[in-house]
Amino acid sequence: MWFSKILSYLRLARAYIKLNWSMQMEYRGAFVSQALAMFLNNGTWLAFWMLFFSRFPVVKGWEQSDVVTLWAISAAGFGLGNAFCWNLHNLAAMVSRGELDVWMLYPRALIPHLALGKMSATAIGDLAFGYFIYIVVVRPDLQHFLLFNLLVVAVALVFIGFNLWRGSLAFYFGQAEVLSEQWFFAMITFSTYPNCLFDGWMKVVLYTLIPAGFISGLPVEALRDFDFSAAAFTWLGALGVLASGAASFELGLRRYQSGNLLGMRS
Amino acid sequence: MKNSIRQIWAVARVAARSNLAYLGEVASRTFFLAVILFIFLKLWQATYRESASAVIGGLSLNQMLWYLTVTEAIYMSAPRLAQQIDEDVRSGALAVRLLKPISYPLYCLSSALGERIVRFLANFATGAAVTFCLVGPFNCSPAAPIMLLVAVLLAFVLDGLGHLIIGLWAFWLEDTSGLLLIYTRLSMILGGMLIPMELFPDWLKSFVFFLPFPYLVWGPAHLFVHSDWLQFAQLVGLQSLYILLLLAVVNLIYGWALERISAHGG
Repeated sequence: MWFSKILSYLRLARAYIKLNWSMQMEYRGAFVSQALAMFLNNGTWLAFWMLFFSRFPVVKGWEQSDVVTLWAISAAGFGLGNAFCWNLHNLAAMVSRGELDVWMLYPRALIPHLALGKMSATAIGDLAFGYFIYIVVVRPDLQHFLLFNLLVVAVALVFIGFNLWRGSLAFYFGQAEVLSEQWFFAMITFSTYPNCLFDGWMKVVLYTLIPAGFISGLPVEALRDFDFSAAAFTWLGALGVLASGAASFELGLRRYQSGNLLGMRS
Repeated sequence: MKNSIRQIWAVARVAARSNLAYLGEVASRTFFLAVILFIFLKLWQATYRESASAVIGGLSLNQMLWYLTVTEAIYMSAPRLAQQIDEDVRSGALAVRLLKPISYPLYCLSSALGERIVRFLANFATGAAVTFCLVGPFNCSPAAPIMLLVAVLLAFVLDGLGHLIIGLWAFWLEDTSGLLLIYTRLSMILGGMLIPMELFPDWLKSFVFFLPFPYLVWGPAHLFVHSDWLQFAQLVGLQSLYILLLLAVVNLIYGWALERISAHGG
């Protein structure tokens, strides 16, 4: 019963990805340039860390390879979560404008349709960047590479759950685009700096309000020490963020007001 | 010449006033600045502690944070000048702009200048308040704010010319966003926005000084924390030299671009 339901949703995801991919391929030049631009953007940040660690080799026990791992996991996880679920990135604006109506007409649950509705070329650039630097710079063995894949999926779930959190703000506050955007920037920023820099109350924030600890902390520890308990906690955290994101969306949806907009999905 | 200055002043004033009307929105976006300064504090606190040194690259922790406040305020105040030119060329709005009694590049530059000054002041005020709370006041010399203002103004003109050159390539290229990304990322890393140039490896330092990027960000920020009239004169001289050089390039490209324009009645 559950298995067939999961299979059915996987088939739905495959259909959406296929459709969105063919749409992206219609503008192949733009797709490639956007993906490359993101590759370059992330490369700049990596260059900063290379410069930094060339001068200060160890900061609070973190070395250059740890920061490269951090960037690999956060870029790949962000890329995977957002490349195929890009609609959630603009959820707050969609709710504020009353644009959910068109997504409510489909059979099955609303969140999968809404999330999978749009693909992002820049996020695919992030995904490619994450894998590229992990393979080329860190040069993992097979075991580490398999663990990396598991953790990338968990980080992607953190980002999807977090996007549901911040997008759902619009159900409760009406205009929440700026707030949602600022929260997003805070999450991205904290998830791309070493987690070891923060302690005390900030550590609590990074595992609750801004769940960047499940990206910049536990997964890096898991890969560095090949620690399965850190990997398990990453997965637990990811499922927690996803479940609470879905719950805040479903609860908020009861307050949703239609924008009575006429729209057509192409 | 007198007429051009009057025109620049008039356009810049209108752009500044229209930005002042949305000061609330400008202020709300400075939240990100507060987050990034907090993270920088944590990063550099750890670095100073581990290197067991009160001064790194000639800067104390207090000076480092104030340096980064200026660099972030400069970088985050950049308006969408190149994108605006790109849109004008692509949409055909350029034909209307050409009817104005002011040359198109001068109009764009003046407007961007007015907008950027308001944004910089808002960013700097927020950044200074945050940095004050994090590391306390900065005992700058009485001349430092004047030096900073002059250097920042020239840096904005220089950066504006850089954006103009990139935007004008829209006459030949399908999309200038890739060029813009390369330019902004180079000014971020080579301009010393994230890490002062004093901490660059020697091989990098030796050729970076021949590029315009340090004079966009590092120069004004360095002057703020190490006020010195001789260095001020050197910086202003180099900024002026690059402004003249880029002005000649803008004139050349704009001349070529005008030859490609064909407008039809509407």
